[in-house]
Amino acid sequence: MRHVTAPPAISVKRLAVDRDGRRVLDDITFDVAPGEVVGLLGPNGAGKTTTLGVLATLLPYDAGEIRIAGHDLRTEKRAVRAAIGRVPQEIAVYPTLTARENAVFFARLTGLRGAAARKAAADAIEQVGLEQRADEPASTYSGGMQRRLNLACGLLGEPRVVLLDEATVGVDPQSLESIVAALRRHKERGAALLYSTHHMKEAEQLCDRVVLIDRGRVVALGTPHEIVAQAGLKLAAEVVTERSLPERWLEGLEGAHVLESHARGLDETGSFARVSIAELAVAARVLARAESHGAVRELHVQRPSLHDAFLALTGRATRD
Amino acid sequence: MSLGVIVAKDLRLLFRDRVALAFIALAPIVVISVAGFSLASLYGGGRTGQTAYDLPIVDEDGGDLARQITERLANDASVRVRTVASREEAQRLVATQAAGSALVIPRGTAAALAAGEPARVLLYTDPVKYLERLNVRLRVLQARDALADAERERVAQNIAQQRESLRAELDKLGAAIRAARSELDTAKRESQELGERAARAYDAEVARIRADVEKQIDQQVRALSTQVQNELSARVENLRAPARSYLDALSQARADFEKWFAELQRLAARRAADIPPPPKFPEPPPDLVRALDSPLPPLDVPAHLDIRIEPRAPKPVAPPNLPDVALDVPTLDVPAAPPLGAALNVEEVFVGGGAKTINSFDQQVPGFSVTFLLLGLLLGVSLGLLDERDWGTFDRIRAMPIAPRNVLLGKLAARFIVGMAQMILLFAVGYFFFGMSLGPQPWALLLPIGSIVFAGTAFGLIIAGVARTRDSVLPLGAIVIMSMAAIGGCWWPIDLEPRWMRTVALALPTTWAMESFNDLMIRLRGVEATVKPTAVLVAYGLLYLAIGLWLFRRRVAR
Repeated sequence: MRHVTAPPAISVKRLAVDRDGRRVLDDITFDVAPGEVVGLLGPNGAGKTTTLGVLATLLPYDAGEIRIAGHDLRTEKRAVRAAIGRVPQEIAVYPTLTARENAVFFARLTGLRGAAARKAAADAIEQVGLEQRADEPASTYSGGMQRRLNLACGLLGEPRVVLLDEATVGVDPQSLESIVAALRRHKERGAALLYSTHHMKEAEQLCDRVVLIDRGRVVALGTPHEIVAQAGLKLAAEVVTERSLPERWLEGLEGAHVLESHARGLDETGSFARVSIAELAVAARVLARAESHGAVRELHVQRPSLHDAFLALTGRATRD
Repeated sequence: MSLGVIVAKDLRLLFRDRVALAFIALAPIVVISVAGFSLASLYGGGRTGQTAYDLPIVDEDGGDLARQITERLANDASVRVRTVASREEAQRLVATQAAGSALVIPRGTAAALAAGEPARVLLYTDPVKYLERLNVRLRVLQARDALADAERERVAQNIAQQRESLRAELDKLGAAIRAARSELDTAKRESQELGERAARAYDAEVARIRADVEKQIDQQVRALSTQVQNELSARVENLRAPARSYLDALSQARADFEKWFAELQRLAARRAADIPPPPKFPEPPPDLVRALDSPLPPLDVPAHLDIRIEPRAPKPVAPPNLPDVALDVPTLDVPAAPPLGAALNVEEVFVGGGAKTINSFDQQVPGFSVTFLLLGLLLGVSLGLLDERDWGTFDRIRAMPIAPRNVLLGKLAARFIVGMAQMILLFAVGYFFFGMSLGPQPWALLLPIGSIVFAGTAFGLIIAGVARTRDSVLPLGAIVIMSMAAIGGCWWPIDLEPRWMRTVALALPTTWAMESFNDLMIRLRGVEATVKPTAVLVAYGLLYLAIGLWLFRRRVAR
């Protein structure tokens, strides 16, 4: 586990939230240092959005201590709001306004005035690569461009803390690259980024550390490597077949067990299977077993990922 | 600053929404136009005449009266007059519904009236066209009353002129009498003065003559008296002288005797006492002495001679005092004219003033402006807030360093500004294009406008708090707005509603807004008439705002 040496920009201790008599967040504890990107990972409904909502001062919480940029969340909400930039999951911009108008509006709400607000808006738009179409209504943008505008509006005024909730959902590769680049710039300038996602690969690429949460609880916390190590995972082989694999198709094969398996194809005549293998040589035996049952089309051998670690730690996939 | 930024953003969002702009500005104008023109007859016809009833007129009388009736009706914008040849044609037009009613002025109408006999005109009507029948009948009755009034006015003026002429003649007569009396008084006074002057001159002359005569007589009497006195004194002195000499000698003899006797007594010495006293010399009588010594008294001359001189010329006699001639001008006044006729007219007095015919747009413009204002505000505020919530911009703003209340206040303020602009635009269209009244104090309209916009804006917050989705806003908003507008008198005069409904309407802001507009625009009252409705609307607005904020915090913000 990495030890944070600088005073944390985000400090969450024993956070608990109850909704309708049910505890939706329980004993959440983590922190984010300045210049650090921490991924908040978990499946849908795990409590990521609720956690970010609490940190963004939008939702009340029932227990715990939270400090953001040194300010107590419960008693210094206005100071907390001044310190954070929020990139929500939805495209929270005005569709009939242009990118520039949206950015200038939100820049002014951060306290910037006149030329300073316009410059901040222009900088943010440039950071996400929208300067060419900055004066067109947001409703005319593609989904990826709207995501970039959404991100730009959350990064105005160089906030000390950036809260990102599924900021890259549905973006094209070009937009994803642009978004990641923008986030890295803010990380480099010293901002603390808390990045909620269920894209494990994306988190592995971008995050210094991750907080895995499930059913409102932290199940793991550390760097991606540390988490994979915590899960004790091995190599994995992914097999795609033309015909359906029987339920116990791998039974009796030493050094291999099925991680997940489901039907595949429009008519579900094929199968997809993810198999944990003890060593690379086992992959050949898995290939042979699959070929004998379902006519293998593809075989991929991978090192264990965060996704695998999550699966191993929680027993379910992040997309469940 | 954040409040202004949010207001500016909301205004910009609205102006980008062309459908919303059309809904705010164009839709009400279209509806107002349709309602104003089509319902004009409900208010007695439009001023523009575009909704005037066709009224065929048959002039069988052919006189001045028929011409005047026709002209008066022709000048009424609510009917469109055309003359037809016969009453059969008029009946046919009504029967074929080419006209809702037709007027016939029978032959001899004017003559009958001139002779003081009753007369009547015929009005053919279609019973189905109830409203038109009432309106046309009212116009004909008004024309009749107007003509009767004009005739009465003409007769009254004629009488007044004659009375004025008679009064002038009487005034002239009185002036002549007063002049004659004045001349007579002058002559009488001058005559009296002449007589008195002659008498005074006569008396003066007589007195002068008498004084002269008396003076001359006195002079002659005194001269004669002096002469007599002197002569008489001389004669008396002549008589007194011997007596005075005798007395003097006697007095000397007495003294000598006394001296002798004294010597004798001396000589007799001791025997003197034996000498008897000598006899006494008699004393002269004192009266004689006084008479001889005193001057002769003057002759008495009469101090005044009473001389009576009677002039032979008679004393002028003063003219006799002429008796006063009774030439007082009697107070003559022309007797009041007798009352004309016995017609009983109904004088309709609009309390507080106002035109006698109402432009339907005076009702429709504010009514539908309020309706569309509420539609725009209720839907605009609620859908705007739901949009913000659905877009996520509301939470994005809430997570920014601004006062939370500014998020709502900014949106409400923007809607308030738009609502004010919408109302002012619609009223301006009503004024410039439909001849709508703005009342005696157009600026006073800003009070009910501002207060209903405020109440509507706040009510929009309630809708936003109650309706959870866009799909629920539309039916909920539509029901509430339509009910408020209809019951509150936005679509028709509230007096058409039953009493219980009018009582219910008091709980609606639309009722108070329309009441205020009617007061200012139709009843032509001043700003004081709108104080109470404005206060009620503001109170409703504050109540709605409190409820809306509570609901919004409870349901939407969470």
